[in-house]
Amino acid sequence: MDCATCETMVDVYLDGEMSATDCVAFERALELCPECRQRLEDARALSGLLHDLPAEPVPDLLRARIERELRSIAGKSQPVVPAARPVAATTILPRPSMRWAAMAASLIVAVSIGWLGGMSSMQGRRDADELTAGFVRVASSDHPVDVVSSDRHTVKPWFAGKISYSPPVRDLTTGGFPLLGGRVDIFDGRKVAVLVYSHGQHKVALTLWPAGSDSDSPADVAQRDGFVLAQWRHGGFEMRAVSDMEPAEMSAFVKAVNTAEGPDR
Amino acid sequence: MDGMSNTLEPDGDTVERFRSVMLPHLDAAYGFARWLTRDPVQAQDVAQEAMLRALRYFHAFRGGEARPWLLRIVRNTWHDMRQRQAGEQPLDVVENKADDRPDPEQSVMAVDRRRHVAAALAALPAEAREILVLREIEDFTYKEIAAVLDLPIGTVMSRLARAREKLAGDLKGRLGRRDHGLRDL
Repeated sequence: MDCATCETMVDVYLDGEMSATDCVAFERALELCPECRQRLEDARALSGLLHDLPAEPVPDLLRARIERELRSIAGKSQPVVPAARPVAATTILPRPSMRWAAMAASLIVAVSIGWLGGMSSMQGRRDADELTAGFVRVASSDHPVDVVSSDRHTVKPWFAGKISYSPPVRDLTTGGFPLLGGRVDIFDGRKVAVLVYSHGQHKVALTLWPAGSDSDSPADVAQRDGFVLAQWRHGGFEMRAVSDMEPAEMSAFVKAVNTAEGPDR
Repeated sequence: MDGMSNTLEPDGDTVERFRSVMLPHLDAAYGFARWLTRDPVQAQDVAQEAMLRALRYFHAFRGGEARPWLLRIVRNTWHDMRQRQAGEQPLDVVENKADDRPDPEQSVMAVDRRRHVAAALAALPAEAREILVLREIEDFTYKEIAAVLDLPIGTVMSRLARAREKLAGDLKGRLGRRDHGLRDL
């Protein structure tokens, strides 16, 4: 091999596309040609740099959207049988890893057919998408909160400097909803406070931000496929809660939030 | 889609098969879309649309490597959406994110180096960008790249060589020093 050949072979060699016999010949030629060795080293370095670029994870929302589409397509094609129930998540989704995404998707489907009053608009749909994606993150993560504490005196100051308002943080243990902690999420393009409570095996994610109006509004609670959402306004804050518990439990949660008194108002 | 037969309405079984064969490659689909569009929102749109197209054409998938098959659809989807819409994300948006100021002290640090590499890759023309992503990030063989880009293998090799040369040159320029080998970056 003369050097011109050697040069054109560097990439092929590096990319693992060279036959074993050619490799032997190439390596022998390499020993005799410092320029080609240099070339190979440079190519290898460049390749390594690109290979080390961190991959961006798939956004939860994208996953949930694709799930929604898949479920809706699979559901549509089911044979029409009298009294046929919609295909249960367990039938289509045997893998536990898919469970949360599937639940998220089914919730989004529920929202898209006009459920949850004000959330049926396009904006409302996006909002519900985002809230649900947020709950999926909370529910499926080993670290659902960024600040882990049942002490509101720890959680509340943690939000200072992270978001532009100070959310009322209360422990609702007496109401049956111990505080797990808090996290900051992005909702509607801005940073919002999310408080995470537990209730037995379940979790509740409460997203709240200052309301445009001071008047309270009663909670709108609705449920689909094991998910329950509530939206209401209380004490000058817009409240959105998402959970996988029962609607009655969600109503109890709303009540616990609304009746909790304390210095934190 | 070129070379593929008509679509069939996918049934529940098809969706289920699709879920196990194609859905695991959503990361690759999104990652590729991310480099093609250079925009996180557009990348989501492209990836979602591509997954749905892939499902519609899934009956035409004859086994073999799923990832190249899917990434080919991602690329075609991106091309189609780009034609429909206003065009590519303006380059300066991407480039502004990266600090182009050469900083000899900083550039020895891995984080900074990565930032330069990512910025240089993002700034390449689509033709060079896509082939480098497929080869270096997706670790595709020439044959797989040829299938995704619908090119003969010889063209894949020459394009790849040109893309590497361009990137190496740009990177040296970005780092603004040391005109010898990349190993010193």
